Amino acid sequence: MLFSRLRRVRAAFAALAVPLLMPVAFAQPAQAQSDNSGVLRVALVQEIDHLNPFTASFASSTMVGRFAWEFLTLPSAEDATPTGGIAESWEPSPDGLTWTFKIRPGMKWSDDQPITADDAAFTFNRIMDDEKAAEANGSYVENFESVTAPDESTLVIKIKERQASMTALDVPIVPEHIWSDIEDMADPRTDSVEVVGVGSGPFLITEYRPNELVRLKANPGYWRGKSKVEELQFLKFDNSEAAVNALQNGEVDFVNRLTQAQFDTLKNADDIETNQANGRRYRELLMNPGAQNIERQPIGDGHPALRDVRVRKAIAKAIDPQVLVDRVLGGYGELPGGLVPPIYDNFHYTPADDVKYTFDPDAAKRELDAAGYREGPGGIRVGPDGRKLEFRLTARSSEDYGQRATDYIAGWLKDVGIGVKKNLVSDNEVDETTSSGHYDLALSGWGTNPDPDYILAKQTCASLPASSGSSSSNAFFCDEEYDRLYAQQAAETDEAKRGEFAREAQARYYDQVPSLVLDYDNALEAYRSDRFTNFQRQPVEDGQIMEQTGYWGFYNAEPVAGGGDSGGGLSAGAWVGIGAGALVIVAGAATVLLRRRASTEDRE
Amino acid sequence: MTTSTTSTTGTNTVADLDERRSGTSTPRFLLGKIGGALASLVLVVVLGFLLFRMIPGDPVATMTRDRPTSPQQLADLRERLGIDKPLWQQFVDYFGGLLRGDLGESYSFSRPVATMIGERLWPTILLVGTATVLAVILGLWLGVRAAWRRNSTFDRVQTGIALTLWSVPQFWLGLILLIATQGLFPSRGMRSPDAPEHFFGQALDIAWHLTLPCLTLLAVIYAQYMLVMRSSLLEEMGAEYLTTARAKGLRDDLVRRRHAVPNALLPTVTLVFLQFGMVVSGTVTVEAVFSWPGLGQLTYQALRGPDLPLLQGVFIVLAGSVILMNLLAEVLYRVLDPRVRAT
Amino acid sequence: MTSPVWQRRRAAAATLWQEFSRNKGGLIGLGFLVVVVVLAALAPVITDESGLDVITATGTPLQPPSWEYLLGTDVDGRSVLLLTFWGARVSLLVGFAATVLSVFIGTLVGITAAHFGGWLSAVLLRFTDFFLVLPSLVLAIALSSVLPKGIATIILAVGVTSWPATARLVRAQTLTIESRPYIERAKALGGGHAHIVGKHVLPAVLPLVLANTTLVVGSSIIAESTLSFLGLGDPTAVSWGSMLQTALGSGSVTAGAWWYLLPPGLAIVVIVLSFTLVGRALETVLNPRLKGDR
Repeated sequence: MLFSRLRRVRAAFAALAVPLLMPVAFAQPAQAQSDNSGVLRVALVQEIDHLNPFTASFASSTMVGRFAWEFLTLPSAEDATPTGGIAESWEPSPDGLTWTFKIRPGMKWSDDQPITADDAAFTFNRIMDDEKAAEANGSYVENFESVTAPDESTLVIKIKERQASMTALDVPIVPEHIWSDIEDMADPRTDSVEVVGVGSGPFLITEYRPNELVRLKANPGYWRGKSKVEELQFLKFDNSEAAVNALQNGEVDFVNRLTQAQFDTLKNADDIETNQANGRRYRELLMNPGAQNIERQPIGDGHPALRDVRVRKAIAKAIDPQVLVDRVLGGYGELPGGLVPPIYDNFHYTPADDVKYTFDPDAAKRELDAAGYREGPGGIRVGPDGRKLEFRLTARSSEDYGQRATDYIAGWLKDVGIGVKKNLVSDNEVDETTSSGHYDLALSGWGTNPDPDYILAKQTCASLPASSGSSSSNAFFCDEEYDRLYAQQAAETDEAKRGEFAREAQARYYDQVPSLVLDYDNALEAYRSDRFTNFQRQPVEDGQIMEQTGYWGFYNAEPVAGGGDSGGGLSAGAWVGIGAGALVIVAGAATVLLRRRASTEDRE
Repeated sequence: MTTSTTSTTGTNTVADLDERRSGTSTPRFLLGKIGGALASLVLVVVLGFLLFRMIPGDPVATMTRDRPTSPQQLADLRERLGIDKPLWQQFVDYFGGLLRGDLGESYSFSRPVATMIGERLWPTILLVGTATVLAVILGLWLGVRAAWRRNSTFDRVQTGIALTLWSVPQFWLGLILLIATQGLFPSRGMRSPDAPEHFFGQALDIAWHLTLPCLTLLAVIYAQYMLVMRSSLLEEMGAEYLTTARAKGLRDDLVRRRHAVPNALLPTVTLVFLQFGMVVSGTVTVEAVFSWPGLGQLTYQALRGPDLPLLQGVFIVLAGSVILMNLLAEVLYRVLDPRVRAT
Repeated sequence: MTSPVWQRRRAAAATLWQEFSRNKGGLIGLGFLVVVVVLAALAPVITDESGLDVITATGTPLQPPSWEYLLGTDVDGRSVLLLTFWGARVSLLVGFAATVLSVFIGTLVGITAAHFGGWLSAVLLRFTDFFLVLPSLVLAIALSSVLPKGIATIILAVGVTSWPATARLVRAQTLTIESRPYIERAKALGGGHAHIVGKHVLPAVLPLVLANTTLVVGSSIIAESTLSFLGLGDPTAVSWGSMLQTALGSGSVTAGAWWYLLPPGLAIVVIVLSFTLVGRALETVLNPRLKGDR
């Protein structure tokens, strides 16, 4: 019974060649037929968790949502100042506690239903009432007293305390007639096209294959006018190397979050444009200033020496941000100042020369000596309390920056007599140790928004954790002076004055160094310039195209005339290659078969 | 591991199976084996649960990173995930859920783990299945030829190539292939976004995407089949009945096909099932390199958080499938081996 | 009494070496191994360790091979040759230590299961079977994410997941040996468990264990690189696996830095292949069932 198997094996092997040959025969016409000149294909290296805007929390998911649903107001492309979306105009009451938004008349959902103030009221109320709906954007409504729609074109939001960030509500407004039927926000149905497909933004979601792609088509009824980009595809990649490879091969048109080495390569590539943008993220070195909870009880196990501001300042002087930017970031970062990156001009703080920490190991050594931390055995300093100046340095092992920057920082600190133990752990563990105060030094970083309120609020005493681990504080900073400046900033509605207070608050933070900002990463992006052009940056001069707080980047892009056919399929060379490969296999198989028969005959 | 630690000649695997050729009756044998597999499965669940609870870190802090969150939201999240309960309660809940096919909810995707695994199952089966079938075909064919012409140039070269490929880290081979074939094959995923509508076109599209990951997996696993086939065939050829067959005047070729090969096939075929665990391990890195939307990629994603329920779910499913495959191997061996059937 | 036994063993070893040296592949593999191990051991003597320090690194990042840097430089401007050199130490250390751990557990479990029999044997066998079917990479991943990152963790994760095959092999061999008449005789003469295992079983099993060991080292080295690739390696030490991970993570692969990707990968292939060749040769020499067919 078994003896005939070998023959079958051989037949099967020959059959192997067939699928390799077939693409040549059939796929080519299929590829040539599809005209994809208006299709913008974007590589996503991050995951999508949900399309449902109430539960979509990943940066990539909120980005997709920004294309599908219009906001009440949103930051403009030019300079990130508020501009109208669904709301045409807005007005705070004199006490600043009641905000009235006028809804733009004549706007329609993609299923032709009118967009009214009721839709906006429904969206906010749902987030306020339904715990599950608050998952993604709950923090925006925390200070809300009530949201009502007295008539179709008026939306009234009452807030509990004055808040300057009312025109920066990053919450997609959804159609009430679709979403009021949804009982359970966690229902998988809420990620399906029948629900998320009805939108008001420049693009409408038309297909979702989890882990593979999200397809959006231009919204013909969009109020600003239909986008010249006919279709927007977000394609999932697991690693950025593969994404870059795909860009070079013309399989995708846009890639972001590039590493420096990738960016350098793409800079010189044909038909590819790169965009080095000022980013919205800052990186910092946390220095545990004595973690405490809201009752001012100490928590965690930070090294006591770091409570001494002189030690923190000495560390700040022993570190050279320039080298970190040049070496670890390949030059693609801005040198640091305050917490708010330079992209937000009005709120960005740049220290004056006399207060700035400049790299000066000798000064750091002198200051440590003066503070009573004398050099002990093995070159490691010992504090007045007899405890060695030896710190753990916690960072993410998943990140190239974390792995490499720790090497540099450990080296510099060792030079001034501070011992460092590298502690590279998972993202979860970094977050747990830093939020519960179980760290000495740690690499961290945050993305910021056009409105600085959130990032500044994280540094106030009020943000200290109620219990260990539930922290919304960033660096366990708690300082009366800072809190005073923060409060002034938060209550000020005049943009210029508010900016001044915000900068003063950051100056105080900079002086006390509970954390040292190391740089603001550039956002590195690249796209096929032979296929698309006119991507809109935010802000216009040096901003990023993808992952904006808005939809400008892709909405304003235009296909290049005649550049359509390069993508999607294979180059001629590739087809030749496949053909040749298949031929070799077939020829090989044939030879084997023939030789076999010959030898069998010989023996007979 | 990418390479299993069993001997490359496969003799001990064969020896293992020899041992199991006991004289018990078939139903008793089956019951015993199934019972053993079930016990292993329960152990896997317990081990998986305890192991992943020990991972330090606060999933809630990671989940809410980089977006504005209030302490109330954090507390709600903890409650929803059930991580505010004592450990034994969590285990009871988990085990109960498992019996109903519920593997919990992923931290980072807030979707049911069972659904996510379900989505990823078929791509992995396709990849692993294709690679295994091709590896078996290639391995058997080369193994037979190498054994028959022992110590010939063909034998030496083929054995050398197989051993070299066997020593290559799979993810590295994948990267090299990706770079070396720059542009010839798609670098990601399983389907192109503009795949043709009709079934045939889609199948071609998938086959085209399958080429590189499949080749990478194939290159590393076929060696095992080839070497085992070769050594068991050599063993068979030394057996007395072949000499008898030859003495009866049968042609070499016929002797080989009718007698030696079928007998030597047995250990190799069962090896397919025994080596399944290793192939599964291989898919983790291969899928990560080629963004193949399967279970391996899911493991890789789950590792980043780490996303505990997801990691735990994948662990149970992968270990469970290997246990099942081993059970099949044992049953198959008993059914196929003429020496056992005779008793 | 010991001296004739010792002489006999030495003679056996000589025969063994003779047979082994007839296997060309095994010899080549052994040659490579000796060279690499010696070089790795001498690394602190013949190279300057300060070249590994990122702060004092002199080269420009990602420089292609030149006379100054024979294999080019990495993302931090360090010599790739130097890194490969020092990486060998960690990779070999992990390979050997994990193997020792794995073989120790495997031999212990194997001999115990075979020698004592009864319920203990049944339990151990069940236990071994259980570990044998667990996908070892997945288990190693789980272990290394639970434990603090470091070389010890990797060694433990690899060692603990790769012993079952050894255990089965040792058990089978022990059963064969214990069925031989001279063991029966030793038992009849009142030899205790320690005596029988120590004097008879262990010496007879060890050669096979040794052959198995060399094969385990190879797969342990691959396991280390795989875990490092998945980001679970020791972040403070340079190993071949961590080099590959940094090459990938920093985008050097796209930048076309083949000199960064190839050396660690090829080093792994060469060393694993060497171990495999030696292991196969030993197995052929030691396992009577395989004699003559190489």
